[in-house]
Amino acid sequence: MSAVRVPTGQPVPALRIAGLERVYGSIVALSGVDLEVRQAEMLTVLGPSGCGKTTVLRLVAGLEQPDAGTIEIAGRRVTGPGGSVPPERRRVGMVFQDYALFPHLSVADNVAYGIRRDPDRAVRVAELLELVNLPDAGDRMPHELSGGMQQRVAMARALAPRPDIVLLDEPFSNLDAALRTQLRGDLREILRAAGASAILVTHDQDEALTLGDRMAVMVRGRIEQCDPPEIVYGEPATPFVATFVGTGNLVHADCRLGVGMTRLGPVRLVGASARIAGGALAVIRPEHVELEEAADGPAEAGAWRVVRRRFTGSEILLEVEAPDGLRLWCEAGPAVRRLRIGDAVRLRLRDVETVAFAPSRTHQPAAAEPAPVAAEAVVER
Amino acid sequence: MQPLTAPSGLPRSAAGRGLRRWGLAPRARPPLPLLIVGLVVAALSVLPIVYLGIRAAGTDADAVAFLLRPRTIAVLGSTVALGLIVGAGTIAIGLPIAWLTTRTDLPGRRWWTVLTVVPLAIPSYVLGFAFVAAFGPRGALQSLLEPLGVQRLPDVYGLPGAACVLILASYPYVLLAARAGMLREDRSVEEAARTLGDTRRMVFRRVTMPLLGPAIAAGTLLAVLYALSDFGAVSLLQFDSFSRAIYLQYRATFDRSLAAILALVLLGLTLVVTFGEARLRRRAREFAGRPARRPVESVTLGRWRWPAVAFVAAVVGLALVVPAVTIAFWLIRALGQGETFRVGLEPILGSLGTAAAAAVLATVLALPVALLVARHPGRPGRIVERVSYGAFALPGIVVALALVFVATTALPVLYQTLALLIGAYAVRFLAEAVGPVRATLARTGLRLEEAGRTLGDGPVRAFARLTLPVVRPAILAGAALVFLSVVKELPMALILGPIGFETLATEIWSTTSEGFYARAAGPAAVLLVLSAGAMAVLLRDDAR
Repeated sequence: MSAVRVPTGQPVPALRIAGLERVYGSIVALSGVDLEVRQAEMLTVLGPSGCGKTTVLRLVAGLEQPDAGTIEIAGRRVTGPGGSVPPERRRVGMVFQDYALFPHLSVADNVAYGIRRDPDRAVRVAELLELVNLPDAGDRMPHELSGGMQQRVAMARALAPRPDIVLLDEPFSNLDAALRTQLRGDLREILRAAGASAILVTHDQDEALTLGDRMAVMVRGRIEQCDPPEIVYGEPATPFVATFVGTGNLVHADCRLGVGMTRLGPVRLVGASARIAGGALAVIRPEHVELEEAADGPAEAGAWRVVRRRFTGSEILLEVEAPDGLRLWCEAGPAVRRLRIGDAVRLRLRDVETVAFAPSRTHQPAAAEPAPVAAEAVVER
Repeated sequence: MQPLTAPSGLPRSAAGRGLRRWGLAPRARPPLPLLIVGLVVAALSVLPIVYLGIRAAGTDADAVAFLLRPRTIAVLGSTVALGLIVGAGTIAIGLPIAWLTTRTDLPGRRWWTVLTVVPLAIPSYVLGFAFVAAFGPRGALQSLLEPLGVQRLPDVYGLPGAACVLILASYPYVLLAARAGMLREDRSVEEAARTLGDTRRMVFRRVTMPLLGPAIAAGTLLAVLYALSDFGAVSLLQFDSFSRAIYLQYRATFDRSLAAILALVLLGLTLVVTFGEARLRRRAREFAGRPARRPVESVTLGRWRWPAVAFVAAVVGLALVVPAVTIAFWLIRALGQGETFRVGLEPILGSLGTAAAAAVLATVLALPVALLVARHPGRPGRIVERVSYGAFALPGIVVALALVFVATTALPVLYQTLALLIGAYAVRFLAEAVGPVRATLARTGLRLEEAGRTLGDGPVRAFARLTLPVVRPAILAGAALVFLSVVKELPMALILGPIGFETLATEIWSTTSEGFYARAAGPAAVLLVLSAGAMAVLLRDDAR
């Protein structure tokens, strides 16, 4: 792609957003959003619906104007104090949630729409249709295509003018589950092959985790964390992130010298949470816990019991409850797959690294509408 | 978008045959009664037209010579000119109003949205009467200006007047089509074009217009069809388009075959337009897709606000206020001068009686036809549907003439009877009664009745207990539409009605033709009240 590089060799980011704010009447859609997308990087933005993630894309595309903040695309300032570049001169490619194909134009004409001045556009269109694996669809009309094909045409159309950044607004939300998984892989390859920098916003955490080189978690108009997916999962920055991305149990821990003592045993604390001293909430993932079947007898009166069971195909998650009412989601290893609801179990913590949140941060309430997984996570009372 | 009801492939499969043997796929073939009613109705709509052709072919005079007469050519020329002017005029008025009321911050948008569609309910001859009685010689304006020494006003008769009236009467077709298209367009389509490098203006040219094009063109052809078929306005404004020429030929000479020839030419003209309209509408539907999730953002008019309001107000003023004021003016004048002012009871009874009878008859026929069309997709259903919509699109004068020929030669018993007129109305406006019922049936599907069958009802009882109540509002709406159409109808009442038979429409037409504006004002007022009443019923049903 047309990577603009400053002479010193430091690459200019494809996109840099600083202090972005957007208010609709009395509703604050974005408050102080900072983001950066590096060259040829895919940044995914994950958040519950209504968190403002689509607004970010629309502001970058210039379809709406921010109330404060600046946006730079490939080193060019497009919004900020002193005016705004109109959408048609921003060099962004946008893939809309409903694809927004032009119904009166053939597939080839749709793809060629943004490059009508290019003398070699026929070649470019053929190249792109090849890239999105629709080499023979050029003469067809959008309404004749399946949802997945329409989505790929929308990709080709957005990529045709070689944009500085591609904006993808929930590109898979209108597709069924099987197709979604396949197209996810395709999309990743298409963008890699085109060398494009991209932002993809989604409310699906699998999508955000698998597709992003880095991912940003957003709630109520703020970015909670922006890191590689492994870090977001392993070292969530806030309780919201811990429960929204993946299944997270928050368990009380007495922290000192980088170790948190929970009722299940000690955990090693990493990052900033290594410095916490005193009571905090530690993040315990299901795979951090080892389950063991307990003999059902009077000796086990104080044992945990299985209260819910969730089979996902590849793994089994069990929710267990302590006599005092604390509940945890745990992964059931091969040895304990036969466990049923009501069975007594013993828990043991594996030797794990995790993070904890000191009280000052923990009373940040969870999202208004957390994802189903987050709804089942428990904050210790 | 009509949801498919029964999969039409089913009956042909072995499984389908098996099911039918067990009586479990009763929808595979239409029941005989439905089929008979449908085909009889279709035959009744087509036969008169066929007869018209036979009659024209059997003329003594040289048909070709008659067609090539300078006068015939002149009539053809002026009809086409009228069609073109009305087409252009309705776009010039309908398109801006559609845009102003859907995509801008026009002050009073909601009111204008309703008011600008109302002219659709006013018959062309009432508007024609209003124009003649307001701006014509001895009209309201003239008599107001006379004391100031104005002796002559520009002539309203002929092409300018007729075109004006027809544009004002039919621009809502373009307006409605354009508005529907504009409301359906999704914002993201225009936004996608912006991100691909187009300015606002280019988006309008490359995306908005091509998308709206077919719908607007279809709406315009409806307006043109209205103008070509119109009899009332062109005859009151004395413009020689085909309908007037046909009527004069029919009244003036004994050889009615010549009128039949003219009628066939007009028929051909309208069929071409109807065909074009249907094609464009199909094309528009392909573009339409689902309703817009996020409508296109509205434009701020700024200093163009008040000029825009003035434009819309001028159109509403001409199409609604002028008729209302003119009617009021002549009513008051008639009362003031002690002129014989009365709205005879006969025309009111004539209008109401025929309209009610035709509405009942059409409704009775509509239920079987709607069932056939909605539940038994297949050739018979399609034929019946096409024919009944085709009959609806025919010019009234052509249908009337065709029926005169049928009655005078084949069924003299019926000639000049109310029965013939009412039957003709029921068949001609059948599509209006079928439409709502068919749409409701298609939407309801068979689930309700199937549930009833599993709970112990027989097929007839299940239909009566479950489907009929659901369809009832649609039946009433269809009846109201037919009633409204019959009350407004002019040429068929004029030609097919028994001697001495009067309706409000014929009364307005004949008194206006003779220049007795004060006597036309009463019936016109009554007619407007009646149409407004029927409109209100329809709108209330719509709102529910």
